[in-house]
This record gives sequence, C-alpha cells and structure tokens, in this order.
Amino acid sequence: MSDDGMLAEVDSLREHTIVTLNKLTKDIKRQHKIMERSDKRQQREYDELQKKLQEVEELGKEIAQTQREVVFTMGAIAESRSKETGNHVKRVAEYTYLFAKYYGLPEAECTLLKQASPMHDIGKVAIPDAVLNKPGRFDEAERKIMDTHAQLGYDMLQGSKRTLLKMAATVAYEHHEKWNGKGYPRQLKGEEIHIYGRITALADVFDALGSTRVYKPAWDDERIFKMFREERGEHFDPALIDIFFEHLDEFLAFRDTLKDVVS
Amino acid sequence: MENLTLDETKYTPLIELDAAKGVIALTGKSYPENTFEFYKPMMEWMAEYFRTVAKDVTVINLEIIYFNSSSSKLFFDFFDLLDEVKDDHKLDINWIYDEENENAEEAGEDFIEDFEDLPIKLIVKEE
Repeated sequence: MSDDGMLAEVDSLREHTIVTLNKLTKDIKRQHKIMERSDKRQQREYDELQKKLQEVEELGKEIAQTQREVVFTMGAIAESRSKETGNHVKRVAEYTYLFAKYYGLPEAECTLLKQASPMHDIGKVAIPDAVLNKPGRFDEAERKIMDTHAQLGYDMLQGSKRTLLKMAATVAYEHHEKWNGKGYPRQLKGEEIHIYGRITALADVFDALGSTRVYKPAWDDERIFKMFREERGEHFDPALIDIFFEHLDEFLAFRDTLKDVVS
Repeated sequence: MENLTLDETKYTPLIELDAAKGVIALTGKSYPENTFEFYKPMMEWMAEYFRTVAKDVTVINLEIIYFNSSSSKLFFDFFDLLDEVKDDHKLDINWIYDEENENAEEAGEDFIEDFEDLPIKLIVKEE
C-alpha cells in the first residue's frame, strides 16, 4: 500500500474514532443526567405516595371511628327508649370485652365485640312505647311483643356486610338464648349459641341485676352470685360463669368506674 | 404505510402512530419491564415513516405522566431520531402535562434544554 493510501486510511480511522468517542462521551454524560434526574423524580414520587398513603390510613381510621360512634349511638338510642338508663350499654361493652378476652378470643375480636355488644337491644326501637315503657310486669301478650326485639334487631342488622354490624346482628339475635335451650327466639342450646350471644347474655344480665330500675331495686352482689351459681349450665355458659368468678375484681372495677350517677 | 396502535396497560402508555394524519402520540405512564424491547416497534415505525411517507407537518404529542429511568433513556433516543430528521421534516412537538404534575413539567423543560434545536413546546393540559 502507498503512503498516501495508508494516510487516508489513518485519517478515516481517526475521524471515525473521534465520532465514536464523541458519541461515547455524550452517552456517558447523558447516562449520568438520566440517573440524576430519575433519582430526583423517584424521590418526589415516593414522597407523594407516602403522603397519599397517610391520607388513606387516616381515612380508614376516620371510617372505623365513625362506625364505632354510629354503633354506640344506636345502642344508646335503644337504651334511651327503654327503661334501662345511664351507663348500661357502656358497662355491657366493658364486660363483654373481659369475657371475650378470658375466653381466649383474639384481641381484635374482643375489641369488635366491645363495640358491637352495645347494640344488643337495638330491636327495641321497633317496640311500641306502650309496651316498652309499661311500668310493672308484662302480661303474656306484652311479653311476646317484647321478646320480638331479638329477632327485630337481627332483621335490622343482618343485611350488612360490615364485620362489626354482622357481629352486632348475631349479638342482637342471640343474647336472650339460654345454655339449656329455654331462651328465645330460637331456643338454641349450648354451643349452638354463638359465643358473642352467650357472652352478651351474661354481661347484660349481670348489669341489669346490679342496677336500679323503675320496677326493681338493684340486687346486692351475694344475691347475684348465688343466682349465677344456680344458673351455671342452665341460663349461662358454665365456662363464662367460671371466668366471671375468677376475674370478679375486674368486673366489679368496671362497674365502679361506670357507676350510674343518681340525679 | 400502516398505522400502529398499542393500547394502554398498567405499565405502558397508549401509543398511536398515524401515518395518514402524520401524528405520533404517547399518552400515559411508562414503566415497561423491557423498555427498549417494548418501544422497538414504535422506533422502527418512526424511522420508516420519516424515510418514506412523512407528512408536511408531523405532530408529536407526548403526555407522559410518570416514567422510569430506562424510559427516560428511550426518550433521548426518541428525540435523537427527531433531531436527525428535523432538517428535512417540519415537526410540531408538544410535551403535554398536568399543571399539578411537577415532575412531568420538569421533564419537559429538561428535554427542551437537551434538544435545543427541536421545536418542543410545553403545553399545560386543559381540564
């Protein structure tokens, strides 16, 4: 090959190399730029996502809180229409929590039951005033009407898909069933009665007996305890009666802190 | 030359390449798993389009909400391609973004800076 030919080839090679190197330089610089910008962008997107996530979480809390308040208010409405007064639903709520805890239900379920149990008498809102607020004892017909409140409460709540309201439906439906099968409305027996129903039944009765009502004075503790021992395995789930006596001090402590104020 | 349309997916934008109208449009997010593989048909279509049937004016609408870093690299290649044909074809390039999307706005500004010979316009999206 002549020198000229060789020089031409070297020139061409040089040119080509310069083009390639320029492109490489450009690419490297570009790559750096891309990474830098992407990092910045991703950080911003991350911040934004975090912010939105927090908003969603707060919304979730808000919904749960609203649900709790609505449920509690519904219970209070039922209570205000009937002869039961004061802190009855609040105490029942605390007792059901204690029973659920010592029965061994998971913490989340105990808390839910505490929120759902105040609605046990919600069916009473559909009972006529003349019956509901009648002073003195009910006659046969009135008793029958009163007893429909369990079914009525269930009918009101059973359509819901919400865990809390479904639980409240069960509580309303089964809180007058008895362990021995002599309760209502379905005469369920033993463990056929849902644990939520068995727990609320005992919590409700314990509080009703210990409270003063227009138609009766409050029972003293010994009388209540005697009755509970007699009704162990009859009206009440024996396991729950055992829990009650085992943790008596805790039940009584709640009763004291949520005492009805006599005005 | 046939048009090419790729439907929007969770990770990829709607791509509309219309040879008859002379419109190239990308709308949506860009997080493909294999970015260069995904955009290959588009890049090939564009090269073919500008080589053969390009209209007097080609409108390029880019409305990319979010994109990953390999998409960012792809967009450089995209603009490189346009940069190469800009002397022979009239281009009308729009980078469209939502007012609240600061990232998209900034990305558009960056591309304008990187490709100062390309007529890229920033367009705030109408509500």
